[in-house]
Amino acid sequence: MTHALIRLTGLFVVIFGIALITFALAHFAPGDKAQAIAHARYPDAMGIPPQILIDIRAEFRLDDPFHLHFLNWFGQVLRGDFGVSYSSGERVWAIFLGSLGETVTLTITSLVFGLTGAFILASLAARYPGSIIDRAAVVIASVGAAMPGFWLALLLILAFAVHLQWLPAYGTGTAAHLVLPALTLALWVMASQTRLLRSFFLDARAQPFMETLRLRGHSESELFYRHTLRHAMAPALTMIGLDFASLMEGAIIIELTFARSGIGSLFAASVLSRDLPLVMFLVMFFAVIYVLINTSVELVQRLSDPRMSEGNGP
Amino acid sequence: MRAALRRFLRRLSLAVTCIAGAVIAGLWLTPYDPAAADFLDRLSPPTAQHWAGTDHLGRDIATRLLHGGLWSLGLSLTITAFGLVTGTLIGIIAAQSGRIGDFAIMRVTDSFFAFPELVAAVAVAGIFGPSTVNLVIALMIVSWMKFTRLARTLALTTSKQDFVTQARLNGLSQARILLVHILPNILPSILVLGTNSWSRTILAISGLSFLGFGVQPPQSEWGAMLLDGKPYMQSAPHLMIFPGLTVLISVLAINLAGDRLRDLLAPQSM
Amino acid sequence: MLSVDNLTVRTQGKTLVQGVSLTVQPGQMLCIIGESGAGKSTVIKALQGLMPGTCDHFRFDPIGLDLKGALPDMVGLPNTRWVMQDPLAALDPRFRLGRSVAESLHRLNLPVDERLSRVKSALETVELGPEFADRFPTEVSMGQAQRACLARAMIAEPRLIFFDEPLSALDALVQKKIARRMDELRRQTGMAYVVVTHDLGFAATYADHIILLRQGHMEASQTREAFFIRPANAYARALIDAARNLGALPESQVA
Repeated sequence: MTHALIRLTGLFVVIFGIALITFALAHFAPGDKAQAIAHARYPDAMGIPPQILIDIRAEFRLDDPFHLHFLNWFGQVLRGDFGVSYSSGERVWAIFLGSLGETVTLTITSLVFGLTGAFILASLAARYPGSIIDRAAVVIASVGAAMPGFWLALLLILAFAVHLQWLPAYGTGTAAHLVLPALTLALWVMASQTRLLRSFFLDARAQPFMETLRLRGHSESELFYRHTLRHAMAPALTMIGLDFASLMEGAIIIELTFARSGIGSLFAASVLSRDLPLVMFLVMFFAVIYVLINTSVELVQRLSDPRMSEGNGP
Repeated sequence: MRAALRRFLRRLSLAVTCIAGAVIAGLWLTPYDPAAADFLDRLSPPTAQHWAGTDHLGRDIATRLLHGGLWSLGLSLTITAFGLVTGTLIGIIAAQSGRIGDFAIMRVTDSFFAFPELVAAVAVAGIFGPSTVNLVIALMIVSWMKFTRLARTLALTTSKQDFVTQARLNGLSQARILLVHILPNILPSILVLGTNSWSRTILAISGLSFLGFGVQPPQSEWGAMLLDGKPYMQSAPHLMIFPGLTVLISVLAINLAGDRLRDLLAPQSM
Repeated sequence: MLSVDNLTVRTQGKTLVQGVSLTVQPGQMLCIIGESGAGKSTVIKALQGLMPGTCDHFRFDPIGLDLKGALPDMVGLPNTRWVMQDPLAALDPRFRLGRSVAESLHRLNLPVDERLSRVKSALETVELGPEFADRFPTEVSMGQAQRACLARAMIAEPRLIFFDEPLSALDALVQKKIARRMDELRRQTGMAYVVVTHDLGFAATYADHIILLRQGHMEASQTREAFFIRPANAYARALIDAARNLGALPESQVA
């Protein structure tokens, strides 16, 4: 019980820390924030009268010392108010929700195909260790881990869009536009997960109880489907949870390379235009999602495995 | 195990020396300047004169790749070394700081750890202006946390070992125990993570440069070269094939060396 | 030399050991026996100041300690040493044996050549050649590693050595050789031993005094002869009978 309490306190401290780091990034960003806010507010104005800038400074407390300014902002964030975009004047939430769909579609599609591929490859490799399939799995995993995602994207564009002209290379919209980006990300997921799944399967096969079952006359395939898989699932799920950050990074790179709309390209665009409220929101989104996913993975692990004793958590 | 490890380290340093020697010799021997344009010989496919062809300004790609290697490998090594030293130090301090100090240090680490590397690097490099210096600063900011976590865990387990208790009973000071017993025992695993982190940093640098957030063209960094070559994908695919291949091979080589190091240091061979 | 009255060890609200009293004289071997989890190791950890404990009276002659209440913190005193159960865990895998042995002299600040010669003679006392000083723990057998641990304890010429199951990681023949050497050394030097063991045969052969623990309480505290001829209670008798039936006791104690 005390452990849960410490964990919960830790979670809040970390989220506070994320907010503080994010705020510091924006606070020390170069450029006049009042000017940027004024432009967002009066997009058609040719010049901003000095009085308006002074009013904005007062309204957003831009001249407050760091800690007061931060606490004021953090209070608004806790109430769910992330402000309005400097460049479009829309609420940050609304812009975010508008882009979320494309990214979710891309990541879920790639996860499904990538994990399926990894699962088939890894289970075949672990079922027949040392075979050609096993070696191929190792090679695919090693090369995949060293492959720059954007280069893989370029190669696929070169093959399927430029030479074969089967699929569109850039943009969003139809299902055909989704194929190449999802394929790239899926190959990436497949490469990284094949390696892990394979080693989990091999570990599970080497468990002492497997030998007992084998001696009792259970067939090799029965052992695999009824025991190895189940035994390997727990660590595999943990790793997939932890790899969420890589998936997000992959999605950002893929969206930018394929010029797709989505959270990743929204993030890059907001950074380049120094649209600070949007940048802050997205940065916090990525970080908080990561923390929440990891905390829930750990929670599931703790609930499902009584051996995980206190004090093992980070 | 020690003999095997020593042999591996000898081979590794030999390989690194050979590669570094080849790069320097290549840079010295090549008749081309990485920045010299030649508009009469643009987009040439690989030939006897230009082993990897020329780019859209007629610059020799092979020379630029060698030059870019100094950038990619050098910057990534600097960043990783910074992360390794800082992170390990903070991790060891956390492990020695008692419950409250440890809690505080690790929650700060977790806060930094929560930002995916690429997100943090894009945000910092983007907001403060894309440049090589800002890229390096951005990647350094996110380079240390995994070392802190590993060093802390290892330091905590190692300090519970019997031989550390013996050292304490023998009257060694805490600082001396850290220096002679704990640090040497956790360093191998830290180095394995270091090779892993090094190859990831190479990918990050080339990726960020490709996206426009890092080393800027006309600098001959590999990712920046890919960005340069992207518009000529159809007419001159070698502009993007060779830089990508170079990244792939470097990262693969470092990863394989790291895997081998990990196998050699695995508990069963100790 | 060492005398403790009514030792009690509590951590996190649990009482691990209660009411244990023991006395050991120079050159004597005291054996603490009992099942796993009976609190044997806890007693010697508390006596070395590695766990918090209290007692009615504590006396340790070599440094003239005489007190009551909380146990003193003996960490780092040159007068006691501890030989542990698993020699491979007790030796730093990255230290050559000579360096591990020499670490025991850390407090003395000896010049290098004197340290080397003392390491060499310490290895000699445990029947290891000088070449072992340059080997790593993984390059020697378990028995040789445990001998190095013994050398590390001996080299500082302590007045008291704690042993925690010193032989249980070794095979039978090596056990016998090292046990015999341990016994000779305490007779030669007058060091006192406190040995935790679950091996009744060892206690029956070498102990001067035996303490039997069960679930943190002292079941018996008798001389060796008395313990085996007239055990203090039924639990001790049952334990002795079980060992006798297994043939684990030496001839002299089978009567």
